[in-house]
Amino acid sequence: MSGEEEENAAELKIGDEFLKAKCLMNCEVARILDHKYDQLQQMSADPTNQISQVFEKSMQYVKRFSNYKNTDAVRQAREVLSRYKLAEFEVWPFFRLKFPRHLVTFNHINVHLQLCVLGNLCPDTVEEAIAIVPSIKSKGRKLEDDAIEKMLHDLSLIKKFE
Amino acid sequence: MVFMEVDLSWNVIISPEQLDAKGLLLHKAIILRLMDDIASRKASKEHGYYVAVTTLNSVGEGKVRELSGDVLFPVTFTCITLKPIKGDILVGTVDKILKHGIFLKAGPIGSIFLSEKTMRDYKYVGGDNPMFLNDKHANLEKDTMIRFKVLGLKWLESDREFQVLATLAADFLGSL
Repeated sequence: MSGEEEENAAELKIGDEFLKAKCLMNCEVARILDHKYDQLQQMSADPTNQISQVFEKSMQYVKRFSNYKNTDAVRQAREVLSRYKLAEFEVWPFFRLKFPRHLVTFNHINVHLQLCVLGNLCPDTVEEAIAIVPSIKSKGRKLEDDAIEKMLHDLSLIKKFE
Repeated sequence: MVFMEVDLSWNVIISPEQLDAKGLLLHKAIILRLMDDIASRKASKEHGYYVAVTTLNSVGEGKVRELSGDVLFPVTFTCITLKPIKGDILVGTVDKILKHGIFLKAGPIGSIFLSEKTMRDYKYVGGDNPMFLNDKHANLEKDTMIRFKVLGLKWLESDREFQVLATLAADFLGSL
């Protein structure tokens, strides 16, 4: 990552390494870490060896800040967020040649980033959603307020009927 | 703060005692060694905190290191990482309250500082249970959960961790 192009969540600028990575919501991470914890208990005689501080603190954190507890709800939440096709933008080949790679911020990874932040923070209002993820209004295919409202409403329904 | 699942590569070094004829034990030794290495590594400036190795994707051909007899295996694996970046909205818990600001913790990030300069409408109240008071919002005291924005970051090579500078100066931030 070059020095001048600083990473910035508000503008969806992230490092090259993460362009191919997949973003996960806290609730999804909670499930993975739980499973991993069980695996570690079975795998080694002294499981506390493999459980690092980072793992433990992360596990506590995601369990506390998970919005959706059961598997179905998690899947539904991801479906709702993906349905709204946040920041969908087709980068034609010649754009990639013209502009430096780090400026091409609209790609698959960024869609996930936006939806994960929204899934984690669960804003109550459209205003709040725009305040915490400004890029849903400023980048790529902009979402109309109505669409944002409907999406937040669908998310709250999943939580209610969990 | 969003957790990412990233594909990474590493060199796992296995000592001769662990090299068994049975392939399965070797595989297990590689996985355990990898997890150990990643756990000790804790975090890096590029990837952030290494939370957990989820899968071992490939193990390359082992190369014997002449002097020690150890074998080096290049591996690729998938790992869950967590990297705070500027502009991130995070939720943290109050750890310590001082006159000039609040120290917070959020998951593996142990060092988050919220300066009182970014908390314009809050007033510090000292005593046995120090806190920051505000007419319109809830008080900020030990164990309060606060939603904040990352103003800046610093990577500390010696401690292998990030130092985060937080702010409350934006809409929809503050105690939950």
